[in-house]
Amino acid sequence: MVTLGDYLFVSGLLFTIGFAGVLLRRNIIIIFMSLELMLNAANLSLVAFSRFRTDSLGLPNYHAQVFVFFIITVAAAEVAVGLAVIVALYRARRTIHVEDISTLKY
Amino acid sequence: MIPTPALEIVVLVWGLVLLLAEAFVDKLDKRVFAIAGIVGLVAVLLGSFFLAPPPPAASTGFWSFYTADPLAIFFKRFALATTIFILIMAIDYAPAIRMGVPGANPQAGLGEFFALPIFTCAGLMWMASAIDFVMIFVSLELVTMSFYVLVTFTRRNPATLEAGVKYLILSALSTGFLVYGITWIFGVTGETNLARIGAVLARQDFDHVPLLFGFALVLVALGFKIAAVPFQIWVPDVYQGAPTPVTAFLSVGSKAAGFVVLLRVLGPFSILPQVGKLLVVIAALTLIYGNFAALPQTNLKRLLAYSSIAHAGYLLIGVVCFAGTAVAFYLVGYLLMTLLCFAVVVLVAADGGEQIEDYSGLVRRSPFLAGAMLVGMVSLAGIPFTAGFLGKFFIFDAAIRQGQTLLVVIGVITVGCGFYYYLKVIRAMFWLPPPNDAPVIQISPLSRGAIGLLIAGIFVFGVYPQPILNALNPPAPVAVTAGR
Repeated sequence: MVTLGDYLFVSGLLFTIGFAGVLLRRNIIIIFMSLELMLNAANLSLVAFSRFRTDSLGLPNYHAQVFVFFIITVAAAEVAVGLAVIVALYRARRTIHVEDISTLKY
Repeated sequence: MIPTPALEIVVLVWGLVLLLAEAFVDKLDKRVFAIAGIVGLVAVLLGSFFLAPPPPAASTGFWSFYTADPLAIFFKRFALATTIFILIMAIDYAPAIRMGVPGANPQAGLGEFFALPIFTCAGLMWMASAIDFVMIFVSLELVTMSFYVLVTFTRRNPATLEAGVKYLILSALSTGFLVYGITWIFGVTGETNLARIGAVLARQDFDHVPLLFGFALVLVALGFKIAAVPFQIWVPDVYQGAPTPVTAFLSVGSKAAGFVVLLRVLGPFSILPQVGKLLVVIAALTLIYGNFAALPQTNLKRLLAYSSIAHAGYLLIGVVCFAGTAVAFYLVGYLLMTLLCFAVVVLVAADGGEQIEDYSGLVRRSPFLAGAMLVGMVSLAGIPFTAGFLGKFFIFDAAIRQGQTLLVVIGVITVGCGFYYYLKVIRAMFWLPPPNDAPVIQISPLSRGAIGLLIAGIFVFGVYPQPILNALNPPAPVAVTAGR
């Protein structure tokens, strides 16, 4: 039997992998992918919480499932705008590595 | 009588209409769309004074997501006023947009640059009304996503692109934290509505550790929006690289909306004893970092970025004390003086630069602009008879009443620090000689009027704060907790 704890563990793992990817990777596309992973970690635990918090009739708590749809939609919009920005960066600089974008320094 | 939700819908539809109309009109001077946007927003601003009273708060349906309390109405007007001034600034910034956007059409990008702030404004207005985490998330993302585009707008300029990418990555990261934090808060309480979360927390029968974990993650995301230390790393680069009107919009609109959401979210969570201590530490760090890091700056936009971090520190003192009215008044003063400074930066940068040395002898090139910048700087520094002084006065007053002596001491010391870097700009303008070939700066009547209005506002609210304080009376639910 899969418990709530198992789902939360996997979701925490996904979140950590995503966060580590943002901190450690140097390619902006990979960083962006890791950010999406963090959002999906939240989606997974929201659905798990929803399934395991049943009301008196045994129905799941639908607040969380509706929230997941909002997160998916917003994440899609974010990817659309974000990739456009990254493409513009690549056209101007011919690079998508974070070490190469450091003209703004104090 | 207008129902409150109609305000946002009108703003959004007007933005869409302008964006569509812009796509089909090639010959026309695109600055017409900025004027149309300003007219539309002024109409909505006037409409906000004829609102139908909101129905009593409901536990389900639309009104469990959206509130029309005085705090919300106040910050809707705040967002509208900010956007109007930003559009006026954007008209003056049009030549720089033409240089910065690639395209065969000499007017490429202008229409979008005037339409996007209107969408941001709708997002800010929804943020002011959001009382459910779903609504907070979606409206916050609407604001952030329109800022992704605006910050990167002049994409021929490498500094702007770099600022845009940094904003994109760090903002998306903060979104990840926000969503994961909300998840854990939902997991503990089973609710997304702030009032119902408050009811669950009041029963005291919940798991503290996961709830605090979730709340801390939400606080990280909001700290990013309001530029509090240690989540301020993006601010100096993005403020310096972004187009100047967008920088002004970020520093006023985005920050103010972040503070409204912070006040609302803190409402139910303030019963946790750890929250107050955490906020005191963040406020103290923000004050110290913002003010001391501003001292050696030579680029005026970067200086204003650090100054905006410092002001977030003063505002956080107000938040720690739950002084909703003091925070609202401080934000109004902050709006007036920050927009004033950025309006001058836009006009001076048109034929100069953004370094402080480019402001040498500004008084000979344009006494009006030098006078405006002087008023902005003395108000930011907090000299009496300006809105900036009275804002700090209310905040410190609230802090002393709540016994936050440490924060008051740090606050007063850092105000002294602020005098140094703000007066550095004044010294350049009035005491240093201008470069020989510097032309006299031309100012359009619209900008002259807007700058005049901002100066008048600073002095009027500096001696007569009553209208702002009354606007939040009867006090908003957030302000009620001040009397605990």
